[in-house]
Amino acid sequence: MGEYSHLFQFFFSGITTGSIYALIAVSLVIVYRVSQLICFSQGEFFVFGALFMATLISKGVSLPLAFVISLFGSMAMGGFLQWLLIRRIQGSSIGNLIVMTIAIFLALRGLALIIWGRESYVVRPFTESQPITFMGASLQLQVFWIAGITVFVLLLIWFFFEKTMLGLAMRACAENPLGASLMGISVNRAAFFAWAWGAAIGAIAGMTICPLLFTQYTSGVMPMVKGFIAMSIGGLSSIMGSVIAGLMLGLVESYTIGLISSKFSDAIVFTLLILVLLIRPSGLFNSQR
Amino acid sequence: MNIMERLKKAWWILPAVILGIIPLIFKEKSAYVSGILIFAGIYIILAVGLDLLMGYAGQISVGHASFFAIGAYSSAILTVKYGISPLLAMFFGMFLSGLIAWIIGRPVLALKEYYLAMATLAFNEIVITLIIEIEWLTGGASGLKNIPSFSLFGFTMKNNLHYYYFVWFVVFLVVAMTIAIVKSPMGRTLIAIHSDEVAARTFGINSTKYKTGIFVLVNVFASVAGSLYAHYMGFIAPDDFGVSTSVNMLVMLFLGGFGTIYGPAIGALFLKILPELTYFFQDYELLINGVILIIVLVFMPKGMYGIFVAMKRKIGFSRE
Repeated sequence: MGEYSHLFQFFFSGITTGSIYALIAVSLVIVYRVSQLICFSQGEFFVFGALFMATLISKGVSLPLAFVISLFGSMAMGGFLQWLLIRRIQGSSIGNLIVMTIAIFLALRGLALIIWGRESYVVRPFTESQPITFMGASLQLQVFWIAGITVFVLLLIWFFFEKTMLGLAMRACAENPLGASLMGISVNRAAFFAWAWGAAIGAIAGMTICPLLFTQYTSGVMPMVKGFIAMSIGGLSSIMGSVIAGLMLGLVESYTIGLISSKFSDAIVFTLLILVLLIRPSGLFNSQR
Repeated sequence: MNIMERLKKAWWILPAVILGIIPLIFKEKSAYVSGILIFAGIYIILAVGLDLLMGYAGQISVGHASFFAIGAYSSAILTVKYGISPLLAMFFGMFLSGLIAWIIGRPVLALKEYYLAMATLAFNEIVITLIIEIEWLTGGASGLKNIPSFSLFGFTMKNNLHYYYFVWFVVFLVVAMTIAIVKSPMGRTLIAIHSDEVAARTFGINSTKYKTGIFVLVNVFASVAGSLYAHYMGFIAPDDFGVSTSVNMLVMLFLGGFGTIYGPAIGALFLKILPELTYFFQDYELLINGVILIIVLVFMPKGMYGIFVAMKRKIGFSRE
């Protein structure tokens, strides 16, 4: 039993980080599908969401309200950045667009440094209680919040893209921008909503993990990189693929830390990525090559 | 060929002379000024190499700092732990970087765009993790101390001035080599691969061979920069070579002007001097860098070199 309880522990911590990677990967995929652009600044929304919520809570705002305010704040910020900056250089080379998102990344990170300084912030768990014991593994209740919110967000995305007019319009832009614009769909507006959605999902990831992770202005890089990896393994434009890849990544990481070595876990994960890229450049879950 | 044209051909003497006399102008402050310019020089070597790879051959790299690290650590480990002479250690670093680049170049460069960016970024992370974890050799996260000064044929570089002239000599060498490559048939081949690889292959160009070749060369440059950095600093730590350093090089590239060779050199110079001018803003540095880059991208997509060219045209020095 003692042996197995460890395995369960690793499983749950893997699912926790995996959910966060999956959320970030999905936020990247949404932006990518609509504007064929991988946004290097996605991790900063993760940081802004978490730190903004932490500040609101420390000012006495209740947790659910702080969550919602921070969520809509990040959403507005994502949309605003698309409107102000990305739209202006639309149509220039892909290299320029990538570097623009890197510039946004630098600027937002600098802004976070000025606003919040170098300290780390943590908020209280969403429901306060003792960790529960399950099959010999001790679990923070926050783990269920993270898994639940991830599932909820994914359902919401599915509903949005499958059932609403705006979602369908955005999918049309992803499939064929010229065709969509000929049908009277504003590609610019679709990109605007994609950025707003992406920022919101990134912020949700940051806010739900905030009780378990000390967040500071530099915390955005690693989730972003892991989100990229999940996205690449999933085949860049597949939401389902990147969710599965994100969860797998979390599990692989958790088990390598637990069973092999905490030191080399990143090296192992990145080696896996390079291998996947070399063997199946279009991703593991992409049916069309 | 009249005298004006001859003068135009020899324009590079002017910056060379200016750089040569800068330490003399700043008399008592010269150690400080040359210190900044040594860093700038090292980054110019990196940025120019990256431009050859990205701007000409069209191969994105978000991991250029990895070979900077391999060069720096080769020099540091061989000189500190095994007492090998710095010059020999530098050559070993170049050889090692070239070898690793050659081995990984073929499979990795078969990838395109985002996948290539991801793979190079991952490679950078792997190199940094290995450096941190192989502690007995590399000193781990706390780095390697007491790296001896560079020495050349029995002459040891003791102060900033010695390093200044040596580093900038290497900078001129690297830039001259890069320009020579760009103007040679090989440069045109690279541009052909960049604009349409399939078409280039149809014309019988072995694109894999060229891409791997340029990847090896560029990373040997980066390795040299790493060796110079290690010896000048006397202390290196894994943090100096992370993905953020690679991103910084991309910023230099685009700030200066992508695919122009001179542009990235200007970009590197500017970005290394800027923090000295804004040192009282310290915490604002990240934000300022980001905003400058945004302004450049929106208002002058050809970078600082593009402005320079436009000005030259306006004054009437253009070739037409």
